Amino acid sequence: MHLALQSVAANYGPRHVIYDLSLDLQQGEILVVSGRNGSGKSTLLRLLCGLQQPSSGQIRYTHQERAYTPQAARHLLGWVSPDLMLYRELTASENLHFFARVRGLPWSTADSAALLDRVELAGRGHDLVSSYSSGMTQRLRYAYALQGQPLVLLLDEPTVTLDEQGMALVHRIIEQQRQHGPVVVATNDPRELALGDYVLQLQPPR
Amino acid sequence: MKLLFQATWAVLRKDLRSELRTRYALNALLLFAVSAATAVSLGVGPLGSGSIAVSVQAALLWVALLFAALNGLARSFVQEEERRTSLALRLTAPPLAVYLGKLLFNLVLLALLDLVTTLLFLVFVRVSIGNIGLFIALLLLGSVSLVTATTLIAAIIARASFKSGLFAVLAFPLLVPVLVVVIQGTALALRGDPWSAGLPMLQLLLAYIVVTFVASSMLFPVVWEA
Amino acid sequence: MTLRLTQIARILIGIWMTGVVLAMFLWIPQYEGLGNAGRIMILHVPTAWVSVLAFAVSAWYSAMYLWRGQAVDDDRALAAAECGMLFTILATVTGAIFSQVVWGVYWNWDPRQTSIFVLMLIYAALFALRAAIEPKEQQRKLSAVFSLFAFVTVPFLIFVAPRMADSTLHPNCAFAPNSSCDGITLRQGSIGLLGDRKVQLLALEEQGDTVVARVQVSEPGLTSEAVLEPTFDLTQGESVVEPTFPGLRYRLVVQSVDPANGTVLLNIHAPGTGILANQRTLVTFLASLGGFTALFFWIFSIRTSLLGVAWLLEQREVAHL
Repeated sequence: MHLALQSVAANYGPRHVIYDLSLDLQQGEILVVSGRNGSGKSTLLRLLCGLQQPSSGQIRYTHQERAYTPQAARHLLGWVSPDLMLYRELTASENLHFFARVRGLPWSTADSAALLDRVELAGRGHDLVSSYSSGMTQRLRYAYALQGQPLVLLLDEPTVTLDEQGMALVHRIIEQQRQHGPVVVATNDPRELALGDYVLQLQPPR
Repeated sequence: MKLLFQATWAVLRKDLRSELRTRYALNALLLFAVSAATAVSLGVGPLGSGSIAVSVQAALLWVALLFAALNGLARSFVQEEERRTSLALRLTAPPLAVYLGKLLFNLVLLALLDLVTTLLFLVFVRVSIGNIGLFIALLLLGSVSLVTATTLIAAIIARASFKSGLFAVLAFPLLVPVLVVVIQGTALALRGDPWSAGLPMLQLLLAYIVVTFVASSMLFPVVWEA
Repeated sequence: MTLRLTQIARILIGIWMTGVVLAMFLWIPQYEGLGNAGRIMILHVPTAWVSVLAFAVSAWYSAMYLWRGQAVDDDRALAAAECGMLFTILATVTGAIFSQVVWGVYWNWDPRQTSIFVLMLIYAALFALRAAIEPKEQQRKLSAVFSLFAFVTVPFLIFVAPRMADSTLHPNCAFAPNSSCDGITLRQGSIGLLGDRKVQLLALEEQGDTVVARVQVSEPGLTSEAVLEPTFDLTQGESVVEPTFPGLRYRLVVQSVDPANGTVLLNIHAPGTGILANQRTLVTFLASLGGFTALFFWIFSIRTSLLGVAWLLEQREVAHL
């Protein structure tokens, strides 16, 4: 799996936040994006998962000799962000079951249990998401993102609201992801800056 | 194709389950139906079955259904947008499955609304139905027309500010043909006219359903990814 | 070069429209039965035509925008919709004035009135939608979708609208221009509906070769009644006296008489049906139609370029932020 950006520019609302950004990311490489609030970190991640269109430039994923636009590559991506909301009126395993179905993945209760176990939510699968604390909600976002083993992980503020154990869990997930594909992490946390093979410092718009 | 059916079914089941737990749209719809039927029966009372009476009854029935529908049918999309779950859905589900799932969900809601409103009209307003088969056929096709025309609009207004008012503003002009036909047809059915009298209306509703459904399924992905 | 051409076009349109207006008041004859009010048709019909044309143009450019994604196509769609709204209002107002003068009512829900009213609602909805969406790109996409979706439902409206005045519960025909009525056959004492008037055949008297039908006409709600006496010449086989309905310019006509059964076929005859029969009127009408179409495309192109300039300015401002 390989990710390439060619002179990408994008707006947040009416403002330009990203302009002329080009980069290449290979299998197993970790890119950390940092920068002040409003510098376009979240916008970059939204571009990478096709939730927003660049105003110019091109983003391409290449997997097994085939090129994908971000929108076409969604089934290969896992996105975690404070903007990602799951259904509060459903339980955690109902959420996972639903997303597996719409993704077209074969899924069983055991799969839900295993995934919840991986994000250290074992035993809480039958609680409504509305009863979750913010840290537990963040863990559930990882369960959502890791469903079906994505090739690319796109993590926005990956450890926000998490405790020490949660942070360790996230760092483990990032390390494990190296064998599947590239990881992009948007953060200002110094402990995560150290994780990156590359650090991209975004400047806020003039 | 099988994947699409599976995803559609999942969206429908998810919406039904959420609805049963939150009663977000259901309460609004049913309370509206009850208020409308009560207001009509208090204000107008039993009208008998003269030729003007059946026209008035048909019009009141459909006005009640229309406004209840305009009150409730946008909610499943608006809720995805307001609770910001639409992003998670957009990243995982095929757009067409989302559209079809919501369409079916709205159909279920409206079928329930039809049932309750008709029963209330039968009891409170003492409407008597001359040709029951034709009445049911018109009720069903009329409701499906309402749903195929408004589901796309619900997806559009979910992205806008000032949602609830906008839904009626956008939907009403497109529904005028349906309302005219279905009110006149329902009056005929109440009066007890034969099937042959209602046939052209059923045909027109069917054509409307096909056209709006095809147009919606083609245009929906643009709205969903906008 | 293009600037020069547009200037020439502008002057030509100005002269052309001045000619149309002068001809409308001074050159064409009055139409019998309509008086000076009939002249408004020269303006009314073309404005209504432009309203519909603008709607189609708007839908076309909405489709082009979704297809190619170029902002200029959306500007064109918006410009066409704005012109369309303007001409729709003009058509409605001129029509309502004419309707009041000729038929005694401002509004009657006849098929064309219904259609243009719904068209106006659709335009209004489009503007409301644009106002309610903030991000420009989303605004363009969603309103293009709505415009196209509304466009596919309009044929149903055109098909359905005639049913509104011509209710199947009340077999009758409307007091509207060009409405073709089958009329109603009445025997002495029986009741029927013509337009929204209840008519009752009181008596049928033969006076030599002419038959006089005494018909009682009641206003809707039975607020007032009048007895009219249309006559029919049996030897010539044509109607002779055609009295007008009280308060309306429609005439009551005996179309045929069946003496054996004692029945008459009554119908209404609308003024204005043959309005374009006159050569001068026809020429002026066509000139007006062409003039208004050109006027529409001119306003449309100006508005489009204005929208384009506004968009460029907005973007430049953003770039300087």
